[in-house]
Amino acid sequence: MQLAYYPGCTLHASSSLYDIQTKKVFKQIGIDLKEIEDWNCCGATSASKTDEFLAIALPARNLGIADATGLQEMLIPCSSCYSRTLVSQKRLAEDKELKNRINGELSRKVEGRIKISSIVEVLAGKAKSGEIASKVTRKLEGLTPACYYGCLLTRFPTDLSVPDDVENPQGMETVCTALGAKPIEWGYKTDCCGASASVNDTDQALVLMYRIFKDAIARGANCFVTTCPMCQLNVDAYQSRVYERYGLGKGMPVYFITELLGIAMGMSPAELQIDRHFVDAVGLLKELKLV
Amino acid sequence: MPSSVCEFKPEVAKSFAREVMERSGQNILSCYQCRRCAAGCPVGDETGVTPDRLIRMVLLGEKEEALSNLLVWKCVACYTCGTRCPNTIQTARITETLKQMSKEAHLAPLMPKIASFHTAFMASTGSGGRVSELQFMRMYEMDTLKDEFKRGGFKAVMDELKGQADLGLTMWKKKRMHFGSEKVKGISEVKNLYKKSKERPSGR
Repeated sequence: MQLAYYPGCTLHASSSLYDIQTKKVFKQIGIDLKEIEDWNCCGATSASKTDEFLAIALPARNLGIADATGLQEMLIPCSSCYSRTLVSQKRLAEDKELKNRINGELSRKVEGRIKISSIVEVLAGKAKSGEIASKVTRKLEGLTPACYYGCLLTRFPTDLSVPDDVENPQGMETVCTALGAKPIEWGYKTDCCGASASVNDTDQALVLMYRIFKDAIARGANCFVTTCPMCQLNVDAYQSRVYERYGLGKGMPVYFITELLGIAMGMSPAELQIDRHFVDAVGLLKELKLV
Repeated sequence: MPSSVCEFKPEVAKSFAREVMERSGQNILSCYQCRRCAAGCPVGDETGVTPDRLIRMVLLGEKEEALSNLLVWKCVACYTCGTRCPNTIQTARITETLKQMSKEAHLAPLMPKIASFHTAFMASTGSGGRVSELQFMRMYEMDTLKDEFKRGGFKAVMDELKGQADLGLTMWKKKRMHFGSEKVKGISEVKNLYKKSKERPSGR
């Protein structure tokens, strides 16, 4: 199986570990990822907050490049890039005039054929078919993750069909269960971490993250698992500040879904670069005798 | 903090509401104030203005208050309001539009750090085609320090610098700091799109 692949800026920068993990893990489950050529930044939330045209035009250039590959489906691990690309594709399909205006500037024009998929969608599909369980060489026993989706996997600023339950998604739980972990039921799985507010409105972001931590702790999670690099960075890098401010006790590691997949399929923390976390993420794995 | 009573300003209401609806793509006339949005807004407590109230302000022509309130700036675009609205009004799209209209009206952003952040991000994207984290954070800090100084003098500047230095140092220690910058070969296409965004009034 071959998928087009759009990593986005963060996966080539501070979250490059996620890019490396995604490529390794997908290869192991038999999916060949073809990174699209010469992609640009999708604009993330900044484009939609500052310029309505660029918010659609920036992802459009990537859609044109993706359509030109002839592949059927494109994987986008970053939730923000995934959301912006899907929204742009929909808008271009509805607004011929805008599509023509943008295509006029592109050498590879948007046709709108390629299916944009999130990493949860693709992995959940493989979990349901049993393909993931068949590759597990060490079950993640003892891990009770809080599956944290964040905002952008199930909520969009336009009417789009979502391949999971909008208020109580189960895709990540399906994957975690296939890996032998016991994900907890909890009420804040799609609550906002604040995203860029962690930098530009810090107190607000700390409040938002506090609500998320509080529920996960109360429900017995011993770790978080997420698919969004922004959520991962926030919940990991700002964890100690939130815990300190609100007196929450000992912290817990924040894994990328690809890290749990990699470990369960026999890869080492070193090759998955799990040492690149703010809150130590290898200790728990050692404690549970998983590595 | 706005008063609890909205004032109807008929001379402004129709044209203002029309512009906001057209640019945001949202039909706010269908809002019947059920407040499902307000119940789910994660920043509602801190802003004192919830999505339903913002819509009311726009409909009644409270232009100044609509362009300059905390919700417009603190909205995190979580899309909870729009997902739950029985009339599918995406208020996050309205706060985006109002941010842009506020800038066009040359109003000082209520939360300058937020404005600087997004401006710096877009500048970095426009220069190389992909965001260079160090370049963008540097541009953001240059702007922010100026505002912090105006707001709270040297102490505010030092607090901001310390906060960012702490984060930077931790990122470097945990091997998450990225020093490179990647250039897109087709950067002229990106730059042409940036140029095109300025063609119509307010980048439409």
